[in-house]
Amino acid sequence: MFDLFYKCFIEADRYNMYLEGLLNTVIIAIGACLLGVIIGVIVTCIRIVPKTNIFVKILDKIAQLYVTIIRGTPVVLQLFISYFVLLVSIKFVADGLIVAIVTFGINSGAYMAEILRGGILAVDSGQMEAGRSLGLTWFQTFSKIILPQALKSAIPTMFNEFITLIKETSVAGYVGIKELTKVQSFVTIQTMEIFMPLIIIAVMYLIIVLGLQYIQKRIERRLTKGDRR
Amino acid sequence: MTDANVKNNENAIVRVRDLHKSFGKVDVLKGIDCDIAKGEKVVIIGPSGSGKSTFLRCLNLLEQPTKGEVWFGENILTPIDPYMHPQIIRLSKVYKNLLKKSKVETPDLSEEVIDGAVIKIIKEDNLLEKEKSGAFKKAIKRLYAEKIMNVNLARQKVGMVFQHFNLFNNLTVMENLTLAPVKLKLKTKAEAEERARTLLKRIGLEEKANVYPSTLSGGQKQRIAIVRSLAMDPDVMLFDEPTSALDPEMVGEVLELMKDLASDGMTMVVVTHEMGFAKEVASRVIFVDEGKIKEEADPKEFFNNPKDERLKEFLSKVL
Repeated sequence: MFDLFYKCFIEADRYNMYLEGLLNTVIIAIGACLLGVIIGVIVTCIRIVPKTNIFVKILDKIAQLYVTIIRGTPVVLQLFISYFVLLVSIKFVADGLIVAIVTFGINSGAYMAEILRGGILAVDSGQMEAGRSLGLTWFQTFSKIILPQALKSAIPTMFNEFITLIKETSVAGYVGIKELTKVQSFVTIQTMEIFMPLIIIAVMYLIIVLGLQYIQKRIERRLTKGDRR
Repeated sequence: MTDANVKNNENAIVRVRDLHKSFGKVDVLKGIDCDIAKGEKVVIIGPSGSGKSTFLRCLNLLEQPTKGEVWFGENILTPIDPYMHPQIIRLSKVYKNLLKKSKVETPDLSEEVIDGAVIKIIKEDNLLEKEKSGAFKKAIKRLYAEKIMNVNLARQKVGMVFQHFNLFNNLTVMENLTLAPVKLKLKTKAEAEERARTLLKRIGLEEKANVYPSTLSGGQKQRIAIVRSLAMDPDVMLFDEPTSALDPEMVGEVLELMKDLASDGMTMVVVTHEMGFAKEVASRVIFVDEGKIKEEADPKEFFNNPKDERLKEFLSKVL
């Protein structure tokens, strides 16, 4: 067992391959998470702001269409389209990592938008009314009262999305990006071993997710201070 | 409905004219006229679904009226309703045409009578909907520009207390009381906290300043919600069934605070089912049913000598 591990991980400095894959996976995941949250927040704002003029209404329709298309198609397909079609057609030789970050970010943004919207809708409408009745503007009430409460209830689902996203980046190997899952094929070619590299990689994913879970718990504990005391 | 209360009252803080509100196809308010003078304590009662809460929520525009006007002091909060302004109606083409026609048809009537009759016809048949006269439109715009008040500014002066308290769950009691005055730059943080402490002391809850609302009882929440409004130093306080969501033993403490406010001279509009409170505190009681004011009188007259049939029926059930 240890011999197998030695052969697949330490011999010929193979751990460097894993680390490179791990690094790429983490870069894609973090970049996509940030992009996803930014897109999610923007789309959510468009969708929940009072529809007072035609411009906002049009933006709202576009946002709905975006969410529908992204959630309605597989992420692998989206990756293929942005990698092969977009990259080739605009003759823009970007780094594979950037393509992956953008694709997964856009994908995650749609889910994030729905998660945030759900969190906001779950906040009692009386909170907004109370803020408005004191003379606060919609935006003041939203940012000080509604959003903090919405984030609190959305945190578990948001972390669920982060965790899903990290594991989803494993399909980036299909377009030749050296992320963690792809490492298995390189190691297998050199060592003729399949099982051990897969286990090593699985453990690495698991460690990342455990770290995320820890962060989630810390955040939740801080945010729930308003619930009991 | 008596016409006596519709005449322009110079002391009125809030004036409501021909207020209509519909939700989709459901007409909830069907024309309410009401003046609320400084220092008055108006209690609104009525069966559920009668529109009394909607009426209250129209006063600070939490609900946007479909038709009619809401005035706050000298300023208007809603768009101008041209039917409310004879001098504007007189600028319309419809009016001029009708006036000309009427003069020919009934030459023996005086100008004043014809003018009154024409305006009445225009109001009843909604004849201004297609009015395109430039002078007419300009007059509406000018009056609006002159009288409009930003609704957020008005709400700073109109406190509101809700049935379900609506304290900000993510803020401590102290933050609940200071958020709006500080955020709206009416007070510095220190001033607002000083005022909040005074208010909390008044209701005997100063030790609760740093706890979150979820730890409070219903009665405590509602009393804090009331002083949260008071922290804005409002001119009027609106109460939307403030005791309806409370356990029976907590109703008393909230009513006590409200009576206290009343004796301080606060102008109050209260939607409630607490008939005892109405009898004791109200300077005027209004019965709202089917979207209209069916009866209004001082509490003695209102409860001892009700005239409207629906009110008699209602009182026989609740008293």
